[in-house]
Amino acid sequence: MNDSMYAQWLALACGAFLLAGVLVLWRRDLAAIVRLFALQGVALGAMVVVLGLRQGSVHLVAVAVGVGALRAGLLPYLMRRALDTPPPGNGTAGEEARETRPLVNVATSLLAAAVLALVAYAVSQPIVRLSPGPATQAVPVALTVLLVGFFVLVTRRRALSQVVGFLLIDNAITATAFLTTSGVPLVVELGVSLDVLLAVLVLQVLTTRMRAAFGGTDLGELRELHD
Amino acid sequence: MNVPGTLLTVALGLCLATALLAPAVPARIRPALSGLGTAAAGAVGAAAGGAAMAGHAWSAWLPDLLPLAGVRLALDPLGGLFVAVTGGVAVCAGVYGIGYARHGLSGRVVQATLPLFVASMLLVPAAASVSTLLVAWELMAITSLLLVLAEHGRRTAVGGAGLWYAVMTHLGLIAILAGLAGLAAGAHGEAFDQLRAAHLPPLARDAVFLATFAGFASKAGVVPLHAWLPRAHPEAPSHVSALMSAAMVNMGVYGIARVGLDLLRGSSEGGAPAWWWLLVLAAGGVSAMYGILQAAVSADLKRLLGYSTTENMGLVLMGLGAAGFFATRGAPRLAALALVAALLHVVNHAAFKTLLFQAAGSVLYATGTRDLDVLGGLRARMPYTTALFAIGALAASALPPGNGFVSEWLLLQSLVHAIPASGVAGAVALPLAVGVVALSAGLAVATFVKAFGVGFLARPRSPEADRAVESPPSMLGGMGLAALCCAALALGPTVIVPGLARAVGTLLPGAAPATGPVSGPVSGPAMETVTLHLSGIAGTMSPLLIAAAVVAAIILLAGAVRMLAARGRRVARLWDCGVGPMSARMQYTATSFAEPLQRVFDDVLRPETDVDVTPKQESAYLVERIRFHALVPDRIERRLYGPVLAAVDAVGRRARALANGSVHRYLAYGFWTLTGLLILLAVIP
Repeated sequence: MNDSMYAQWLALACGAFLLAGVLVLWRRDLAAIVRLFALQGVALGAMVVVLGLRQGSVHLVAVAVGVGALRAGLLPYLMRRALDTPPPGNGTAGEEARETRPLVNVATSLLAAAVLALVAYAVSQPIVRLSPGPATQAVPVALTVLLVGFFVLVTRRRALSQVVGFLLIDNAITATAFLTTSGVPLVVELGVSLDVLLAVLVLQVLTTRMRAAFGGTDLGELRELHD
Repeated sequence: MNVPGTLLTVALGLCLATALLAPAVPARIRPALSGLGTAAAGAVGAAAGGAAMAGHAWSAWLPDLLPLAGVRLALDPLGGLFVAVTGGVAVCAGVYGIGYARHGLSGRVVQATLPLFVASMLLVPAAASVSTLLVAWELMAITSLLLVLAEHGRRTAVGGAGLWYAVMTHLGLIAILAGLAGLAAGAHGEAFDQLRAAHLPPLARDAVFLATFAGFASKAGVVPLHAWLPRAHPEAPSHVSALMSAAMVNMGVYGIARVGLDLLRGSSEGGAPAWWWLLVLAAGGVSAMYGILQAAVSADLKRLLGYSTTENMGLVLMGLGAAGFFATRGAPRLAALALVAALLHVVNHAAFKTLLFQAAGSVLYATGTRDLDVLGGLRARMPYTTALFAIGALAASALPPGNGFVSEWLLLQSLVHAIPASGVAGAVALPLAVGVVALSAGLAVATFVKAFGVGFLARPRSPEADRAVESPPSMLGGMGLAALCCAALALGPTVIVPGLARAVGTLLPGAAPATGPVSGPVSGPAMETVTLHLSGIAGTMSPLLIAAAVVAAIILLAGAVRMLAARGRRVARLWDCGVGPMSARMQYTATSFAEPLQRVFDDVLRPETDVDVTPKQESAYLVERIRFHALVPDRIERRLYGPVLAAVDAVGRRARALANGSVHRYLAYGFWTLTGLLILLAVIP
């Protein structure tokens, strides 16, 4: 893979990665959010594949396939399952499947994402300067997705959106790790992935329990939990 | 690996093996396993310390045991002394714990933590780098906290004591961590050898000393950082109280000596500032006075012993402070003498406090109470415990032939002989210090006469005391061992003085041995071995001869009284004002015994008394009931800690508005902090 091909493919993967992250803020339909997250998983996998091909490392490509399978396959599947579980009694399924009233509305959220992207670019300049190259120049993208993920956590009400926000942060951390180093050891990546999987399973259980207790998954209902 | 290294490794291995095995065996034999394992580890540890005191140095570096820094261990005579003391206390506590644990303490956590606690206390004096010391220190804090909380299900006070202890020990850790981290940063290395070679600027050096002094002093229970001690020591199981009070508090003394006299050596070339050591002397003096005063008016037997620990640690710090002060004034001989006195008092205090706490535990075990006002009459019911407590009380009251007398006499000698040549500060401080030592010794006599007389003699003041039975043999064995140590230290302190002199040599290099075979008017090989000669000043003492003289005098006196009294003896009823037979409630109680003292020190103690009179309905002159309630609060604690706690509480109440229960709000705090920080980083070039 020559230099320009490498740069273009990497830019494409990173672009898809960023776009999927920002679009999560735009869509209200939870099923669409999960699809966007799966798309981002594919983009992340592609990014790592490109890096692996560039370094000629079969090992890294194998890791990429694993990362992709987890983030584009298993995790979205688990979230779909939580989403498709019918609410007990005659719950309002239509209400439940949508992010109806985010704390910050969609237009403002997109503007905020733009501001966060600016911050991310400004902050990661020292990292880019360390060793300029296509991979390090993509670090701001990963940082933007991290901030967007955090923003989703802060402003979205549904438990599933929270899970997605959390996973966006994790995707961004993984992307940063692969972009700034020449491949993460397999053990570390396995550990992180297992951690994420466990967190999602726990959050899935939480979602189910919340539905059983309150009939909805609005985290605003959890206000009573303070001393 | 040489002798002390091998022995210390074996001791630590025994502790670890016991801790791993104890949870696995059935509850019936668990206390025996844990107790014997702890005792064996203690014995081996004491041997390791003894070997180090005999001059076999040892050091080891285990780079793989802890990440980043590794573990550095070393035993020099000073560390060996504290290892040996800890080992000795662990032997007594281990044996005693076998019987004491039948009292519902055979649970897995308690029995597995006990050997780990001992292991951590063996490690602290053997640590030779900052990280090793801090890890061992924290292990000691956590294991002792778990043991303090062992009986939390039975008394509500245990939880509060544990909280106080946890907070204060960790604040102490922070102070030590800050001080030693500052020292290590200045030395560009954290091994003790590098710290010794460091040259810190004066301001940094003072800060390091003050921070570590505060941290270590809080562990030693020095006023005003003592607030946890009279809470935690009484509430812990009694063998744990013994370990804490006789071994753990010593680590504070060790830390102050190690940092102030050893590790800061390179930084204080040309003499450490004299005010450091005057501060130590003053803190020791205040602790000695306040501790023994509170002990004198306390009616709770274990609380009394806890305050007595504060007093004795105060005396040790006075010796240490005097030693440092003399060293700065260029009087190495006196410095060495004061330091020997301080270290000898550490050993003596460990011996008698082990014995006293175990005896108090034995009383608690038999009667279920620690309140002296409802005890009494135990002499007939628990003869061995009574005899053993008497030995401990004699030692603690600093009277000959007890072992406490020897070290306090040495301390007084060093202070008195230094007065002429110590400048203005010394001329003011040292006479005061002499007065404090003398007064605390006098009050200690009153305190222990009260504890022994009211607690064990006369008639039982409650049915619980009346039903008391003697403790099981293992408990008596543990106490007996401690009593033997007391007796040995009382009669033959000359045996361990060479080891102490070596420990002093590590702290004050170049100082001549403080005591030694100087030919005096009465000399000869037999006299040399039993007599302490103070070199440089005219002073000799032979504890063995004093003891023999005291015993002979007592025998003569008792014989004379018996012979004289036998002639005119006549039996009659006691005068009881005509109201009938006197009841046990008419006896002196601990409170009434201490009342005159309380009156004398009224301005210091500020006791609170409350008299509640309930008259009969028909007449205001006929009284139905009078209720008298007396309380001596810890005034320093109330004045010093009260405002701080109130302020923290107020801040906490106000901060509650920040946490309204909304998950989004909590997440937003994190989000804004992160983005704010990032923006700040982006703006600042």
